Amino acid sequence: MKISSLSLNNLVRKPGRTLALALLTAFLALAVFGGSVIVLSLRGGLQSLEARLGADIILVPSEAQSKVSFQNMFLQGTTGAFYMDASVAEKALEVEGVEKAAPQTFLASLKADCCSIKIQVIGIDPARDFTVQPWISRSLSRELGDMDVAVGCKVEAGMGEIIRIYEQRCKVVARLEPTGTGLDTAVYCNMNTMNALLRAAEEKGISHRIESGDSVISAVYIKVRDGSDIDAVNSRLNGRLRKVTAVRTRSMITGVSDSLAGISRTVTVLIAAVWVLAFIILLLAFALIIRERTREFAVLRLVGASRGMLARMVLAESALCGLLGGLAGTGLAAALLFPFAQLIESALKMPYLMPDAGVVVPLAAGTVLLSAAAAALSSVLAAVRLSRVDPGTALREGN
Amino acid sequence: MKKSVIPALVILVLSQVIVFGETTFLSPCVHEDGSFGPCHWAGRALLGLGCVLGALALLSLCGKRARFGVFLSGLPVCALGILIPGTLIDLCHMSTMRCRMVMQPAMILLFSAALLCALIGAILSAKE
Amino acid sequence: MTVKAEGVSRRYFRKTGTANYFDAVQPVSLEIAPGGMTVLTGRSGSGKTTLLNMLSGLLVPTGGKVWYDDTDLYALDDRALSRLRSERTGVVPQGRSAVDTLTVLENILLPARLYQRELPVEAAVRWMEKLGIAPLRDARPAELSGGELRRMAIVRALAQAPDVLFADEPTGDLDDENTRLVLSAFRDFAHEEKKAVFMVTHENDALLYADRVLRMDHGQVTS
Repeated sequence: MKISSLSLNNLVRKPGRTLALALLTAFLALAVFGGSVIVLSLRGGLQSLEARLGADIILVPSEAQSKVSFQNMFLQGTTGAFYMDASVAEKALEVEGVEKAAPQTFLASLKADCCSIKIQVIGIDPARDFTVQPWISRSLSRELGDMDVAVGCKVEAGMGEIIRIYEQRCKVVARLEPTGTGLDTAVYCNMNTMNALLRAAEEKGISHRIESGDSVISAVYIKVRDGSDIDAVNSRLNGRLRKVTAVRTRSMITGVSDSLAGISRTVTVLIAAVWVLAFIILLLAFALIIRERTREFAVLRLVGASRGMLARMVLAESALCGLLGGLAGTGLAAALLFPFAQLIESALKMPYLMPDAGVVVPLAAGTVLLSAAAAALSSVLAAVRLSRVDPGTALREGN
Repeated sequence: MKKSVIPALVILVLSQVIVFGETTFLSPCVHEDGSFGPCHWAGRALLGLGCVLGALALLSLCGKRARFGVFLSGLPVCALGILIPGTLIDLCHMSTMRCRMVMQPAMILLFSAALLCALIGAILSAKE
Repeated sequence: MTVKAEGVSRRYFRKTGTANYFDAVQPVSLEIAPGGMTVLTGRSGSGKTTLLNMLSGLLVPTGGKVWYDDTDLYALDDRALSRLRSERTGVVPQGRSAVDTLTVLENILLPARLYQRELPVEAAVRWMEKLGIAPLRDARPAELSGGELRRMAIVRALAQAPDVLFADEPTGDLDDENTRLVLSAFRDFAHEEKKAVFMVTHENDALLYADRVLRMDHGQVTS
């Protein structure tokens, strides 16, 4: 019987002791893996938000700032509908320092066939858009046609499915990649489709306080020319365009970024605290267990086990406990985080994009190994002390 | 106490969480207009399965002779509980809705845990 | 194999009366030759167990040397010493000496298993039958009585066919019949297999089986 077999045998035949030690390391693994996934998801969401916003400045009707938080539309998918004249986009292009100006129109459906809540419909000009269109292009090789829609990943409608918005039949031609932002709950169409939907909404008596015709938009995304000062362009736009407010996207991101930094710090501190506490408890636990097993170790010395063998046995037992606990803790964290990702995102009210398998799997493996190492490390002191005792003395003490 | 009693007790607890949860913290979507979506019926089906699971757990505690068979019966019940939300009965079409966000993952986890316990219970009671 | 002790002593440093140390064993010189059974007797606290532990390689003496043939036992490193003890000696300690997570048979075969030697299953079964614990081979130590555990420890030591058997109060938990059985087994082991047996005991009956009797008093050995 090799020492490793003896270690395994001890773990199996003393399930209570094994379970107690494994639970401690499971706690460690849960904290590390769970905390890391949450922080990585928040960071991923922020990066995604930065990529999705794309623009330097966004023009919205002045009323939008008080009616609906434009920021919430991006972060939480809150629906919004506000309008201004389509000529704002052309006027914006005339302002010095503006390189691109892409209009978008928003509409909140009352209830689509697919969903019993409002969904956000966003109309874009595929030829001019530079924020949403590149993202759509990753899932659709052609431009959005009339009455075609691309749906965010959280809209549960299949490819080719017909969804009704204000009784208008729209065909799902693309499902978009997740962004971890409120944009995942939106439906995207071209301007012709949007105008048709706006007219249908009016016919249904849904008042969006719009004028009839094809001359309304909700926002204009501005790309500032390289070398121009964004704040200066922002000021010029606010000065020249009436009933319109220019918002720097940086301010939206900074707010989210600051919140993320705060959460990240809190999670890191919590993980560190859990580790320190659990490590101390493990140290004490192993010291107590080994004191209790003095006679057993004396017997093993009696039958010829060397100090090195005993130390290896203790380390193997603790590492195996740690491995078991690591697997359990990581598994439990995964079982809670991944199925309930949407719930966590809703609770945090922040962009939240879970890392893919290429990140999660190595993180999980690392957590398990770290747990095993921590458990082994916490037993080193006890193993060293044990190896210093003469078996004669140990037998005496064990009597 | 026989070892196979432990999984039976765990299944009993899980079934109560399923039954109580379906009507409270794990309930499906509540529509503003009071209508029922498909998720409501999925929830009702899961509630029924939870009751069946609870009854099976109680039966298995009554005597060890039938225990093996009762654990085996629990396997298809749990499998059904895993498949109902989202696969056999459709749910709402937005991931942000309560049925998809809370009810579906929670019920799948609870029925999966019950399935594992039923499997372990069947193995233990076969040995006894 | 001959075991030789040259001025072996053991001093413990602790406050006793006027001194800061206590000599559990005063310098002792003796020889344990194969083919005979030596019994060491004496009052409790006279140092018998301490001497046995030093002779069997379990306790480092504070003075003197122990030789196994030409090998200075305590000059070896722990690894070599442990292996030597496992191969050449069998020890039956006082009290309980079982690994609780192993069965009786697994406990008996443990010394050979630790060093991946050929398992002496036949010898183990033979000795188990001789000492009446064969039906307990698959039982766990927790299920055994004190006497059964003692007999298990004796079988564990004998099954390895050691050159020297060290036994500390081996008949302590045994009834008269089993005491006679064990003492006969030790004597036969020494005489028929030409091995050495060194036994510490209070048991007066043991003196009848001994080839040599030593007495220990206040850490000193007298013949």
